[in-house]
Amino acid sequence: MSTVTLYSVSYDLAHDLLFLLGWILHYGPAAAAVENPNVVTGLGVLIFAAILLAASMLNTIVLIWYERKLLGRFMDRRGAMHVGYAGLLQNFADGLKLFRKHTTQPAEADHVGFYFGPTAYMVSSLVIFGILPISTGWNSGALPLSLLLALVVFSFAPLFIFVSAWSSNNKYSLMGGLRSAAQMIAYEVPLLLAVVAVVVVAGSFSLTTIVYEQQNYWFWGPLVVALVVFVAAMLAEMERIPFDLPEAEAELVEGWNTEYGGMLFAFFMLADYLRALVGSILIVLLFLGGWTMPGWVPSAATSFPLAGIFWFMLKTYLVFGLFVWVRASLPRVRTDQLLRVGWNRLIPLSLLSVFLAAALVSVRCLPVFGCVPSPGG
Amino acid sequence: MSEMWINMGPQHPMTHGLWNLRVQIDGELVRAVDPEMGYLHRGIEKISEDRHYNEVITLMDRCCYVAGMAWEHLYILGAEAALQVRPPERADYLRVLCDEFQRLGSHLMWYAAFVQDLGLMSPFLYGMRDRDLVLDLFQSFTGARMTYEYMRVGGVRNDLPPGFADRSRKVLDWLDDRFREYDALCLGSTIFRKRCDGLGVLKGPEAIAHGVTGPMLRAAGVKRDLRKDRPYSAYDRVDFDVALADSADVTGRYLVRMEEMRQSVRILRQVLDWLDHHPGPVVADRLPRWLGAPYAPVGAEGYLLKRNYPKGLGLSAIEEPHGEALSYVVNDGGEHPYRVKFRSPVFANLSAASTYLVGYHVADIPPIMGSVDVCVGEVDR
Amino acid sequence: MTDGTAGTAATQAPEENPVLYVARPMATAARQFVKSLVRPSTIVYPYERLEDPRFRGEVAVASGKPIGVGAVWDNYRGVHALNIATCISCNLCAFSCPDLCIEMVTVPGGDPKHPKKCPQIDYGKCSYCGFCSDACPEGCLTMTTRYELSTPKRSEMVYSPQKLNEVFRSKLPMNPIRLERPENEDRILLDPPLCIGCNACARDCPTACITMLDVPKPEGKPGAKLPKRIWKEPVVNDSDCVRCGTCISVCPKECLFWGSRP
Repeated sequence: MSTVTLYSVSYDLAHDLLFLLGWILHYGPAAAAVENPNVVTGLGVLIFAAILLAASMLNTIVLIWYERKLLGRFMDRRGAMHVGYAGLLQNFADGLKLFRKHTTQPAEADHVGFYFGPTAYMVSSLVIFGILPISTGWNSGALPLSLLLALVVFSFAPLFIFVSAWSSNNKYSLMGGLRSAAQMIAYEVPLLLAVVAVVVVAGSFSLTTIVYEQQNYWFWGPLVVALVVFVAAMLAEMERIPFDLPEAEAELVEGWNTEYGGMLFAFFMLADYLRALVGSILIVLLFLGGWTMPGWVPSAATSFPLAGIFWFMLKTYLVFGLFVWVRASLPRVRTDQLLRVGWNRLIPLSLLSVFLAAALVSVRCLPVFGCVPSPGG
Repeated sequence: MSEMWINMGPQHPMTHGLWNLRVQIDGELVRAVDPEMGYLHRGIEKISEDRHYNEVITLMDRCCYVAGMAWEHLYILGAEAALQVRPPERADYLRVLCDEFQRLGSHLMWYAAFVQDLGLMSPFLYGMRDRDLVLDLFQSFTGARMTYEYMRVGGVRNDLPPGFADRSRKVLDWLDDRFREYDALCLGSTIFRKRCDGLGVLKGPEAIAHGVTGPMLRAAGVKRDLRKDRPYSAYDRVDFDVALADSADVTGRYLVRMEEMRQSVRILRQVLDWLDHHPGPVVADRLPRWLGAPYAPVGAEGYLLKRNYPKGLGLSAIEEPHGEALSYVVNDGGEHPYRVKFRSPVFANLSAASTYLVGYHVADIPPIMGSVDVCVGEVDR
Repeated sequence: MTDGTAGTAATQAPEENPVLYVARPMATAARQFVKSLVRPSTIVYPYERLEDPRFRGEVAVASGKPIGVGAVWDNYRGVHALNIATCISCNLCAFSCPDLCIEMVTVPGGDPKHPKKCPQIDYGKCSYCGFCSDACPEGCLTMTTRYELSTPKRSEMVYSPQKLNEVFRSKLPMNPIRLERPENEDRILLDPPLCIGCNACARDCPTACITMLDVPKPEGKPGAKLPKRIWKEPVVNDSDCVRCGTCISVCPKECLFWGSRP
């Protein structure tokens, strides 16, 4: 019995589709294409990408709804509740409205940068979803350097933000863009150092391996310092309160997306939440055991991935709930304070976490505990 | 980044109304500021000259949209001085009741807006939720939530409805609990303290030189409160303390306003007790017909001028939630005031912006201006 | 400015505590979260209304807030209700309106000589100050708890007396406040030498409280010139008078005025 994965489903789908096409059209080449593994693989990848795109966008929109409802309860109100059941369709309505709106470009704005910025921001945020494993049988996560790849794509964002801010020809946008660049560059360093701690303990840059390394214990326990650093840095990378100063609406109106409206604004909005989703997923993968649960580890060979996906999404949403909680209770910090926290506090802490991780690995390899060699890496 | 001017306003989230703060920035630092007011000028003083004395009250509620009752009180005191009318004692106490409830409402509104400027939304909704209770109380005895039209020359429109005192006491108890929650969210938050401590410093002498009054002055440690220094209405008969802080910064203003709310609760408890035990009339019993309490003014001007009512000048000052407001009413014997002039405390507080904004960060402008408690309605009138 | 610390409440900010002071606001928010899971304070307006007495109790119980435990809406100043049947066309509402949004328009029911006039209110101008209902001597113009007025047409903002009468008939809660008249209120007084006995005041008095009584023709010296007039004078029945001033404004000789003579 072959394993059922999303890949195999999409390959089978591609195969059947081509077969059906050839049969209906009585068209030789189409029928023959079924025999060609390259065509089937290509179509399978496309179908897979479409499924992934739909799933990630759907999740993002549900995430926005989730934040609105959760934030509402924190604030003694209800959140969206008119469109659809409990306001579930409100964000679709908002998206539709933004889709219908005309995109205006300021008079002196740079045309290329103005359109390139949000589009690239959106695309780069979506690309990460092709890398992150959600459950068993997600081959992309098994790439030896998948974690590094994900973080590299994740760190493209300040560049695109800065491009779109600069090309909007607006002082508020420019200030927001500069803040964004400064903040993201400052927080890349502790973020990566905290990841290094995880990598040291797991012995691998492969996300799948990191998750399977957490079969016995999740990493948040031994690596709690790294977790704190990672969450703080991730908050800054996601530009969420208390670190949302690039779009601090009190002084900078809307920061770097002041001049954007319609679908370009929707790109920013969606990409922000995509990145928030990515941040939560990374925390779950690196520290909270991914799709495994204590005492239950799905095997890639036998289990259907849905159970893993369920546990994974549950954890992701709980982590995002934590971000919402922080947003509901803490005010925004100032630029200089943010940078001071980043360089002066988080980097030493992250170095400490790397040291602790190295110590942990050494201790684990002591003869007393019995050396446990890491399987991956 | 070289130095540049940016316009924060007239439509900007920081302004809380319609005014323009021109800021010269060098990177993230504020080099110079230039406040521009006048975008909300409606000519209230001039319109007042065309209205009967009682009808001006409808404008006073629109003068300051968060402290309408205090402005009604301000105008009424000026008009009563000009017309030589004395309200009965119960009306005095009712006016204190209105004033202090209005102070609660205004400060809660300030709290909501101020903390939202720091990027924290929850206190905004907590503050608005609790302000709603105050508005409910106002509605239950004046009939409206913002435009009260409650005070009249020589008294107030009507007495309190039955059960009002119990309802108010419940609200006051609830608010007492909430103040602790507010402090936990703000003073008890490290980020809040890091954002507010030592920010927007305006020391006492400089504040006095610029005519800055109200909580901003008291946060600088200057004991100046018209309710104590020049008691009006029944303030000399209630017991309360003047809230003071000595840090002269945003945190100090926060502390002063929070303490003022607690003192307001204290005053209100006393006033409610007094009102329970001293029934009586709420309008003066001898009023010129055209002042019309309780009736609105009627008749044509020509017939009234014949009567030669006494002429006079009225000058009154009250401690409004935002600071010291002053009204000046000239009565030339006609049925309209000849001239009405107001001094808005926020106008002076805003005009001094360059003293407490320059040298701080751009990100500090919203909390500092939030701590000023801007109400543009009364600035421009 | 006074010196001294008597009667002051000096405030002091507590010391900062970096760890606890991130936890405290978060704990506060979490407490609110748990509380509002039962029922948030929001009132879902089109479905739930504060003025609904059944609903008020529910909010008070569920969210622990002390709102709505009483007759918050009793004095509300919303759309007017006019009882045309009891309106006496005294004009006091229109006189007292600071926004000049009340116009007296003819309604059927009066006699042709003295058409019955009732207020028509333009809600585009109205500021809901309540001066008109305060001024109404018969209590026929009151304010109700209706506050939803939006219409697609500006002309629909003008409520005719008939429309206001419909509001009256819809049995909404009415504003119960009736202001007491001061005991020694100003009265209508007459300057007798100026009066010509023309009957204009008695004719137009909405409450018919003015009667024209005969005055004796002065017995002057024969040949002395008597003023050319009708030898009658108005006498005002003060208990019926609503102090609308109609008589003053119709008097051709300006001989009536407000006064406080006993």
